[in-house]
Amino acid sequence: MSRFRVAGRGRVQQDRPVCFTFDGQTIEGCAGDTVASALLANGRHLMGRSFKYHRPRGPVTAGTEEPNALIGTRRGEGQFEPNTRATAQEIWNGLDTTSQNKYPSLSFDVGALNDSLYMLFSAGFYYKTFMWPRSFWDKVYEPFIRAAAGLGVSPSEPDPDHYASRYLHTDVLVVGGGPAGLAAAKSAAEAGLRVALVDENSEMGGTLLSEPQAEIDGNAAWDWLAEELATLDALGVRIMTRTTAIGYYHQNMVGLCQKLTDHLETPDPDMPRERLWRVRAQQVILAQGGLEKPLVFHGNDRPGVMLAGSAQTYLNRYGVKVGDRPVIVTSHDSAWHAAFDLADAGADVQAIVDTRANPRADFITGAEKRNIEVLAGHTVTGTRGRLRIKAVRINSVADGKVGAARTLTCDCLLMSGGWTPSLHLFSHTKGTLRWDDESQTFLPDRKAEACQIAGAGRGLWGIETALNDGAAMGAAAAEELGHSVKATARSVQNDRTGSGVTHTELPTDRNPSRTKAFVDFQNDVMAKDLRLAVREGMRSIEHVKRYTTNGMATDQGKMSNMNGLNIAADALGKPQPQVGLTTFRPPYTPTTFGAFVGYHKGDHFDVTRKTPIDGWAEENGAVFEPVSLWRRARYFPQPGEDMDAAVSRECRATRKSLGMFDASTLGKIEVVGPDAVEFMNRMYTNPWTKLAPGRTRYGLLLGDDGFIRDDGVIGRLTEDRFHITTTTGGAARVLNMMEDYLQTEWPDLKVWLTSTTEQWATIALNGPNARNLLSPFVEGLDISDGAFPHMSIAECTVAGYPARLFRVSFTGELGFEVNVPARHGRALWETLFEAGQQFDICPYGTETMHVLRAEKGFIIVGQDTDGTVTPYDAGQGWAVGKKKRDFVGMRALQRPDLTAKNRKQLVGLLTEDSRTKLEEGAQIVLDPNQSKPMRMVGHVTSSYHSDAAGRPIALALVEGGHNRMGETVHIPMPDTVVKATVTGTTFYDPDNERLKL
Amino acid sequence: MLLIHCPYCDETLPEAEFAYAGEAHIVRPDNPADVSDEEWRDFLFIRNNLKGPHYERWRHIHGCGRFFNAVRNTVTDRFLTTYRAGERRPDPESLPEDGQ
Amino acid sequence: MTVHVDLLTARQLAASSVATISLLAPGSRYSLRVGETDRDALSQALDLALPEKIGECSRRHNTEILCLGPDEWIVLSPESDAGTIAQACAAVYDAAPHSLTDISDREVTVLIEGPKAAELMTLGCPRDLEKLPNGQGRRTVFDGVSVILWRDGPQRFRLDVWRSFASHVISLLATGCGELALE
Repeated sequence: MSRFRVAGRGRVQQDRPVCFTFDGQTIEGCAGDTVASALLANGRHLMGRSFKYHRPRGPVTAGTEEPNALIGTRRGEGQFEPNTRATAQEIWNGLDTTSQNKYPSLSFDVGALNDSLYMLFSAGFYYKTFMWPRSFWDKVYEPFIRAAAGLGVSPSEPDPDHYASRYLHTDVLVVGGGPAGLAAAKSAAEAGLRVALVDENSEMGGTLLSEPQAEIDGNAAWDWLAEELATLDALGVRIMTRTTAIGYYHQNMVGLCQKLTDHLETPDPDMPRERLWRVRAQQVILAQGGLEKPLVFHGNDRPGVMLAGSAQTYLNRYGVKVGDRPVIVTSHDSAWHAAFDLADAGADVQAIVDTRANPRADFITGAEKRNIEVLAGHTVTGTRGRLRIKAVRINSVADGKVGAARTLTCDCLLMSGGWTPSLHLFSHTKGTLRWDDESQTFLPDRKAEACQIAGAGRGLWGIETALNDGAAMGAAAAEELGHSVKATARSVQNDRTGSGVTHTELPTDRNPSRTKAFVDFQNDVMAKDLRLAVREGMRSIEHVKRYTTNGMATDQGKMSNMNGLNIAADALGKPQPQVGLTTFRPPYTPTTFGAFVGYHKGDHFDVTRKTPIDGWAEENGAVFEPVSLWRRARYFPQPGEDMDAAVSRECRATRKSLGMFDASTLGKIEVVGPDAVEFMNRMYTNPWTKLAPGRTRYGLLLGDDGFIRDDGVIGRLTEDRFHITTTTGGAARVLNMMEDYLQTEWPDLKVWLTSTTEQWATIALNGPNARNLLSPFVEGLDISDGAFPHMSIAECTVAGYPARLFRVSFTGELGFEVNVPARHGRALWETLFEAGQQFDICPYGTETMHVLRAEKGFIIVGQDTDGTVTPYDAGQGWAVGKKKRDFVGMRALQRPDLTAKNRKQLVGLLTEDSRTKLEEGAQIVLDPNQSKPMRMVGHVTSSYHSDAAGRPIALALVEGGHNRMGETVHIPMPDTVVKATVTGTTFYDPDNERLKL
Repeated sequence: MLLIHCPYCDETLPEAEFAYAGEAHIVRPDNPADVSDEEWRDFLFIRNNLKGPHYERWRHIHGCGRFFNAVRNTVTDRFLTTYRAGERRPDPESLPEDGQ
Repeated sequence: MTVHVDLLTARQLAASSVATISLLAPGSRYSLRVGETDRDALSQALDLALPEKIGECSRRHNTEILCLGPDEWIVLSPESDAGTIAQACAAVYDAAPHSLTDISDREVTVLIEGPKAAELMTLGCPRDLEKLPNGQGRRTVFDGVSVILWRDGPQRFRLDVWRSFASHVISLLATGCGELALE
């Protein structure tokens, strides 16, 4: 058995040895140990180095508030986590752990040089040290800061674990499974409510786990605990261990992070590592207990210096004596119990140093009985020992004067500065705090959420008090929810209540500006840093915090906030409430990114929408591109083709004979009702009244600010029914905008909108042979040019499928768009592709579609427009109904800035060398020789090589562009300036002869 | 995540089902041609951006689809009330202090 | 990127000891929109009351009508009845204007059932499903995707989701199906 394990003591299974490694060395612990308790059982306190000064450090606590004992854990390939608290990580056979912030080794570290240079690193050193000379920034300061920044080492491999999340609705959520939480859960459950009880520890019980001496209603604490948990389970309480309430959000939403596998040697590979719970509770009961405060004195950070309550936990819960020869220093009664427990377990307690002159008489008797020297009215002024405390320097204090020093040897120093409620979650809610002068701490005051605070969390100490307050708060929560329940009263024997006094830095005979009395262990902030911050003008605790970094480490000041406040308030000469407390923010303890990501990684990262025809495109070698959430076939390369070659071929084939294109992603909205046409008139710029059923029209949609929002071809199926198409990316936005006007501006209109985007698969056929291919498949409709001219719509069947057929063209060629119910999309596509072989049919993608439309000067909303482009700017004044009384955006088009002469207008650009393809997004200037920064008059919006034009073509927005036809503009690029001529936007078949087939 | 009471569904539901839709009670003039450039500018762009009770619109987009109005305290982020589109703007005095 | 599943073949998609996920064969699905004053006329035409309260369902034979909004219903029936429904509504259009739009192919239907079906839904649905009574349905959100969710029994749900979002939703349901079986 390990040297410091106390046989028969604690809740660990001493007959089940567990081996893990720490810095390569095999350590044996017991099942139920944490890394810290196992190392302590082997006599090892040194577990890490501090962040700034690289000082040797050991655990100061036994829980998740631990600031010092941060380790790296490796559970397997890629499963490395830095900054894990050794005091919380449970051990299992094969767990690989390493210490941090050391080079080359934990016991000899060159970075500890910082410790002797501490004068350089005092409060605000970032702001002072790196000020000058300026040239030092790149070469010296930044590399230094980057090397020094951060705790531990970031994992560099992909995380192979998976993570989960769930929503949970409950009547009552109890946070904290100590006596108050257990009792609260029971009251609420007995009232018939849905109750969830969570605790961050591996088992429920809280303080009870560290205080087995207590007897609850005559039962030993641990027997009572086991029975109580069984009762709660039987009452249907959802009991969740290893589950931390990380944040308390609006309206009683609490985020929980449940660790599922970090404690397991061989977890099921399908088991998520962690699960984030989003809990919505009607009532939240905060029973998080309190935190013990360290004392602040020179050398209080040496390995072996630990909180007395934590030493008691190591002894009673883990069966580990943290030392053979402890010295206790305290300003609070509770540490006396730790001393007595240790003495009773065989430790040779050297002395109890109490800063108070008159400790309780029963304590004096207890110490005498155990032969422990009592030094009342004394202070600690220093410690010795390089990697572990060896001695402590003690002075008497009388009338504020520090007397002569004496030195006591020891192997650990257990301190207690009293207790403070854990207010973190309560503070997340913006609940207000009240300063309690008597206990010298903040207590919860006005609640901002539907919550109750029970036990030590509101400054009530002792197990009996906690049990009874918890029961009462559980009943109070039930009452808030309209349930009545009688809170069970408990009586507890061997309870350990007590009181104490509060200190700033302990009295010392040293020069206070040279003491190394740590307040924030993790960020290496000392009492003198806080005083310096005050001397340098910081007045608010928020400024002191940021200047010194006190409380800004990963423990969020769980150890340091109250001491920091007391010292700052003292230095300012103000009472604490006037200095204030810094704000606690979620998460309560560091939480993995994985927990927040949950299921959203890998294949499930985000939705990828695919059309019913996507599978065919994939099987036929398409290269895809994302378009909003959709993925769309961009081009279909043949062997050896790059994108340009493939797109040229697709363009040529379409213009020459026949191309087919999957247009299923187009947004579609069915507009139905007697007022459908009135609605269309109000929404779109175009007039719709005279559009006959069976005809279609290009529609242009503006916002009320007059700028183009969307466009698309719209068909009138019957008097009362329109089939709108929208851009792919605009579908949801357009429907939302239309619903907005319909519901809130024109609720009197009898018209309804239904999204049919995904009802239809849409196949566009373009090219001189489009009709030749389609005709044989169409039933119930004559699609000859005479009977079904350009811009027609009709219902029919195509290849036996019910269809809505559009005659429409976004390419300038004879074109049809066949809409069939989505489930038939791929079958129809394959039928048409097969039959199209006789016409050398060519499937094409979005890139070819873009080129073909640009050759015709058709705009793409969002590419050629950017939310500041009016129909007139885009050269689409023809689509604006001049005689209409109103439509969305009409009034704005009269605003002076929208009618200004020199607005950016859409034009064509042809590079003067006929070879250079402009870069989309390139800026345009009028005079290339002007001094920089040049005045930019516009930018290129679309640019392609045009097979039909035999040269590159481009569209651009240019100031006053419509009046610059034929002028030369300049496009400066990194290596050259390209000249281009301003032209119209139609580069192909300006008279639309190709449509008249 | 907030809880929002949909006045059409008459259920209090998670914010994830809703979408924010800007300040409420900004009426589009019946005949826009009759209003001045300044009035149209104000209609388009000028918003209160209040600290405190804010009249605003939400849409129950993943639910009944309705736009409705709400009063939310922008300091506490609490909903003081929600009501159907077209209903009269509630008197600030009639609202609870912070929605509790 | 979402791994897409075949949406054309009705079949079991995932199963564990606690839940099964199945894709149902398509039926007829109409979106029916009508104002309050004309609602009764449509109820009469369909010979089945349009429920007035959002979330409530009415059923007769194989037809089911769910109220989704103050003027919005979804009408489900076998495909063989689709024509009859369309004709019945068309017959009253002039007197009771409304919108009846075929959305049979817009969505697919996924069935989730098994001893932990309700818990499985909590992976993606932020609503308190204990408050969704058996026999009712709601439009809600599942993992960020708009869905219509019916509760057919304590541990039996139907979920309608737009086709292109279906694979995303199904993938999470399948993951959860395995995950819940481990508990």
